[in-house]
Amino acid sequence: MLSFLGTLLVRFLEGMFAVGLAGSTIVLLITFVEDAELLFGREDTHQP
Amino acid sequence: MSSPSQPANNLGNRVRIVVATSVMLTFISYWRAAAIVLNDLASSAFYACGIAEQAIGKSAPWFIVGVMLFSFTVRAVYVESCSMFVRGGVYRVVKEALGGTLAKLSVSALMFDYVLTGPISGVSAGQYIVGLINEVMITADKHGWVPRAIHNLFNGTPQFDVNWTSVAFALAVTVYYWWENIKGIHESSEKALWVMQVTTVMVVLLLGWSVFTLFKSGWQHVPLPSPAHLHFTKESLGFLHHSFPDQSLAQKFGILGIMIAFGHSVLAMSGEESLAQVNRELAHPKLQNLKKAAIVIALYSFIFTGLTALLAVMLIPDAVRVPVYKDNLIAGLAMYMYGPEILRLIFRGFVVVVGFLILSGAVNTAIIGSNGVLNRVSEDGVLSDWFRFPHRKYGTSYRIINMIVGLQIFTILASRGDVYALGEAYAFGVIWSFAFKGLAMLVLRFKYKGERGWKVPANFHIGKYEIPFGMASITMVLLATAVINLFTKSVATISGIAFSVVFFAIFTASELANRKKHAASQKHMNDQFQLLQRDTVERESLRIRPGNVLVPVRDYNTLTHLRWALEKFDIQDQDVVVMSARVSRFGAAAYDLAPEQIFSDYEQTLFTRAVSVAESFGKKVSLLVVPAGDVWAAIVQTAKNLESSAVVIGISSKMSPEEQAFALGQAWETLPEPKRQFVLQVVHPDGHLETFRIGPHTPTMKDEDVLLLHRLWLNITHEPGLENVHHHEILTEALTRFARDYGAREREDILRDLKRIGNMPPQAGPKPPAVPLVRREGGDGYPTSEPED
Repeated sequence: MLSFLGTLLVRFLEGMFAVGLAGSTIVLLITFVEDAELLFGREDTHQP
Repeated sequence: MSSPSQPANNLGNRVRIVVATSVMLTFISYWRAAAIVLNDLASSAFYACGIAEQAIGKSAPWFIVGVMLFSFTVRAVYVESCSMFVRGGVYRVVKEALGGTLAKLSVSALMFDYVLTGPISGVSAGQYIVGLINEVMITADKHGWVPRAIHNLFNGTPQFDVNWTSVAFALAVTVYYWWENIKGIHESSEKALWVMQVTTVMVVLLLGWSVFTLFKSGWQHVPLPSPAHLHFTKESLGFLHHSFPDQSLAQKFGILGIMIAFGHSVLAMSGEESLAQVNRELAHPKLQNLKKAAIVIALYSFIFTGLTALLAVMLIPDAVRVPVYKDNLIAGLAMYMYGPEILRLIFRGFVVVVGFLILSGAVNTAIIGSNGVLNRVSEDGVLSDWFRFPHRKYGTSYRIINMIVGLQIFTILASRGDVYALGEAYAFGVIWSFAFKGLAMLVLRFKYKGERGWKVPANFHIGKYEIPFGMASITMVLLATAVINLFTKSVATISGIAFSVVFFAIFTASELANRKKHAASQKHMNDQFQLLQRDTVERESLRIRPGNVLVPVRDYNTLTHLRWALEKFDIQDQDVVVMSARVSRFGAAAYDLAPEQIFSDYEQTLFTRAVSVAESFGKKVSLLVVPAGDVWAAIVQTAKNLESSAVVIGISSKMSPEEQAFALGQAWETLPEPKRQFVLQVVHPDGHLETFRIGPHTPTMKDEDVLLLHRLWLNITHEPGLENVHHHEILTEALTRFARDYGAREREDILRDLKRIGNMPPQAGPKPPAVPLVRREGGDGYPTSEPED
């Protein structure tokens, strides 16, 4: 029973980690594009 | 952003106190902000890979690179957090999202992280230094340069015990910074920038030379980060070692092995939390600059920490990498470059100097950061005010500093100089601190509906609900890693939980005690004071006349200068404004304070005394509290906004009146135009007064100077066509010529003469006709403060 629960916990954590890494990769790619726009994009001269 | 002013009705007999809620800060560029954060974040490059390789084997660099890539997403969480307009400290914000218990646990984990930053940085710096000394001794002995007596004393080549000497070094650095923090050193972004410039030189040399070496000498293969290539030790499996003694874990659960390895590498991104602490000091446009700083930080740490880890495994032979250089890997990398030994040894010396600068700086940052966090936690009401009581002489929260440094010294001694053990424990604090942050930010996506400048991307909508997929993903990685670390880092888990339980108990007990005390003090405050909240300090809205007298107060035991001001100035002509600057030092700056936090128990006592002094003179004073990053900046900014004609301060315990005037003059120089001059009056405890003028002003001329000017005027007016020349025209011509000479080739001569004059005792000054007299005032970065005769 303990072994089963342990395996379940491990599988759950593995699932979280794998889905999390996939989602984080998407975040990473989107922020890379945003960062590039911020660094190399045209300066906004409008002053609030 | 503007907060509405409270209505001024129902004042009764209560004393009105204006509480400004926008912090008066000296703003910094995103480069400086990045430098401050990198001083903490980049320091982990010196030990992260060595620790990770001991735990998971030769593929560790890939995990370090992976963690550094993941840190790009973690910084996005911090950017979103900083873009939220909330008041209160980290405890209040997490409490809002997760409730009081988890908020206390979150702060405990953050403190564990901070308390360990100092010891791991200090011990690591010691390892680099002792490693170099021992290496130099070996080389010197090989060439017969070590005297026979010393050789005999050590029974061979002189060698120091690496771990215990590192402990001694870490203790010395910690005690040094303890004393500096007790005295209240000002954290300078200038210094951080300089350290990062030196570090960048080292990184460029290191990477360039490494690439050259790769081409010349070849490289070793770095195994890919797959479960088959992971080699866990008994220590790195922690509690799981009992279940999987044959190390079959990685193969049995493929992703689990990757998670364990990731958990052992996560300390490479420690220091990311400093980003939130520099946020408030960033110049306009804040959000854009914050993002730029975050990009610089992430890229720099990826290149430095990630690539250095890869190069270390590629270039340092397996036989010596872990056995010899595990705790000073970058020094080992320097020793395996392609080139002559002496050059490599010199470069290693440079690496050690940079390591010392950045790691010892991290020791200081850890003390400042934890002091800031605990101060803010105390302001949030979960740590007794007793801890925040200011040092009698220096005004610093010495009890908190003593407690933090005490814990750090205990940690250093308990570690016995073992960087691996420290790193494992450190990773526990780092990952749990990040996990709580991620979780709180995820929950706040649903609970917090206020202003938010930017969001972590990858959000989609189902009906009217926004699903924060990106934020949830990052939080899932952090939480899964944090949970697995509980099982794989036995020593860290035990020590981390013990530490967190102790802090949790302190916080809970303090909160209970504070609740009762604050209820009483709140009643007292409501009876005595009326808080008028203002976003910024504006003279008109405070109903203060121009030309008023500003009296900053700090210690309620030393109000001599207030007495002097009340005695000297007639309030019919000039308003007297008593001001207290509530200084938030670096480390406490993640969020602005709420008004009742700005006007805390201490300010209540301080203003009660100040009002009592004013009443004893039968005079009325205006009371003002301003939150500030730097007390001098707050004084000059307030004096500017209130159009004050004079500032009256008491003598400082750590600065002479001249130094106080200099500091105020420097702050004045950084103010934007338009700004006005004012008189600074420093009152000694015995009532003796020293007066300075702040800002450009007509200098006080010596009699001999006036005589010289007059003599020149007499001579010149005898010249045909110059009969109508005035004294001021001669001065204008003289200064114009002086400015021209100063900007040209005679600059050095002028500076030399000025230095000579400055070093002469007054009675030995030069004779008036021989040398043109110039006094230090205005321009070229000199503070425009000058003692008034």
